[in-house]
Amino acid sequence: MRRTILVILAALVAVIALGSAVVATSGDTSTVTRPRLERSLTTNFANQYADQARIQGRRITPASLHAKAMCDKAGAENNDVGPGGDWNCLMSWTDPEVPMPPEGYGKFELNVHSNDCYTVGSPSKLTGFLTMTDAEGREVTNPVFEFDGCFDPNGDNTPTGVVFPSLLAVASTTITPDAHGNAGVQLTCGSGAKGCAGTIAVTAGDTKLGTMPFHLAEESTQTLQLPAPVPDGAAEVTFTVQMSTGVGPPKPVTLPVQGS
Amino acid sequence: MSATTTAAAPVDTSPATRRHPGALAPLRWEIRKLRAQYRAKAVLIGALVLPVIVVVVIQGQSRPPKDTLFGRFATDNGFALSLLVLGFAAQWVLPLLTAVVAGDIFASEDQHGTWKTVLTRSTSRAQLFWAKTLTACGFAVIVLAVLATSTIVSSVLIVGHQPLTGLSGQTIPAAEALRLVAASWATMLPAMLGFTCLAILLSVWSRNPAVGIAAPVVIGMVMQLVGALGGVEAIRPFLLTTPFEAWHGLFADPRFTGPLTEGLITSAAWCAVCLGAAFVMLRRRDITGG
Repeated sequence: MRRTILVILAALVAVIALGSAVVATSGDTSTVTRPRLERSLTTNFANQYADQARIQGRRITPASLHAKAMCDKAGAENNDVGPGGDWNCLMSWTDPEVPMPPEGYGKFELNVHSNDCYTVGSPSKLTGFLTMTDAEGREVTNPVFEFDGCFDPNGDNTPTGVVFPSLLAVASTTITPDAHGNAGVQLTCGSGAKGCAGTIAVTAGDTKLGTMPFHLAEESTQTLQLPAPVPDGAAEVTFTVQMSTGVGPPKPVTLPVQGS
Repeated sequence: MSATTTAAAPVDTSPATRRHPGALAPLRWEIRKLRAQYRAKAVLIGALVLPVIVVVVIQGQSRPPKDTLFGRFATDNGFALSLLVLGFAAQWVLPLLTAVVAGDIFASEDQHGTWKTVLTRSTSRAQLFWAKTLTACGFAVIVLAVLATSTIVSSVLIVGHQPLTGLSGQTIPAAEALRLVAASWATMLPAMLGFTCLAILLSVWSRNPAVGIAAPVVIGMVMQLVGALGGVEAIRPFLLTTPFEAWHGLFADPRFTGPLTEGLITSAAWCAVCLGAAFVMLRRRDITGG
């Protein structure tokens, strides 16, 4: 029996050593790649969305949606290869009854497994919640809310060339000046092609506080100092965003001043 | 185990008829021994009855088991439920079912000390090896067929045969879904035979039925774990558990069969290596005791 255990241990060690050797000598050999995921996701989504429309009593063909996706794994600096729960896909499609938000896409979160299958979580703002009401008024499961798929590990791996801009958002909900009236504002830049850049014009009531340039990498957060102190007694500060890269809020953002 | 039933071997008298029964007789003995085995019968009955229980239990759940492929449709679609059971069976049930016979078939001769008895009959070690291997493989085919039929029939009868949503979001009509589900179960066979060969090797090498039965299941689970790791995907094609997932391609649109072909090659390679090693070990073994 001791001999048996020893040999089994030796075999396990050999398997692990072999595995490590293979890993050490090969780089990104995963079959999970961005182009395969983008192609599979758009087909899958279009079918699921057409199914949802059928349940609602609408007639939509998957092809008429012209779904396009751009996928990204774990931020800008990582290679878009390999399984993981950190895949994000931005997808746009055409449904006359459900217009896209200003940035032109919805964000989907994917959990991709090493066996080339994945689970998609959809943006409920655009595709609805777990349950929906069908044409006859019954509560049914929404097929788009969450769905599974698998793609061909030997499938087409040429880039799809789909690119969406990053979305800039003002993350702060209030402006809190210190004793000298200095304050900061937090910005976030979402997934997208090249990050966010541009200028923000800041006004407090009728007083112009100046402009702030910004440059954020995709999927990052940054706090900018306001160009001038907030005047005493100002109730609100308004930010008008001018984008040179990416998309920003279409209307000026107004934040209340705390402690005034 | 009734290994001693070999004593009932036919006695050949004429030299002319000696060769023909010589080739097939060991196979007949092995099948007869297997049919007398309580354990093999229990496995077959389990493969017939347990899927029905599993189907009834899953169908009664209020929340579908979403974290497995096709799980989210399992409570209201019979085809999805049989695919959910398939995914579960591939994790360790299929290796176990085949190892119960294949892991024991050589080692039991050691356990009962009957090697000398069977080899003093007019049969060679090679004939005996192939007879035992064929018997184990035949049992694997039968137990897979029983398990698949029981699962598909019970889930379609109990849950229903609604159209199935495929892995590209497409709707698969019921008739085609039934064909694809049956085909998916059939694609388990190569890897299952691979595990049969692995169990045979362990059975010959360890001379211990417990190792022959348990070790393939443990090795299968280790391979499953390694295959699910993110960084070591380069070794996935060499693992015997990867072919168990090749059926996914049948439910995609367009369908892809690349993994099925690769799985067939992987399983064949494992089988060839394991059987070759087992054969050499058995041929070179010094059987004097027992």
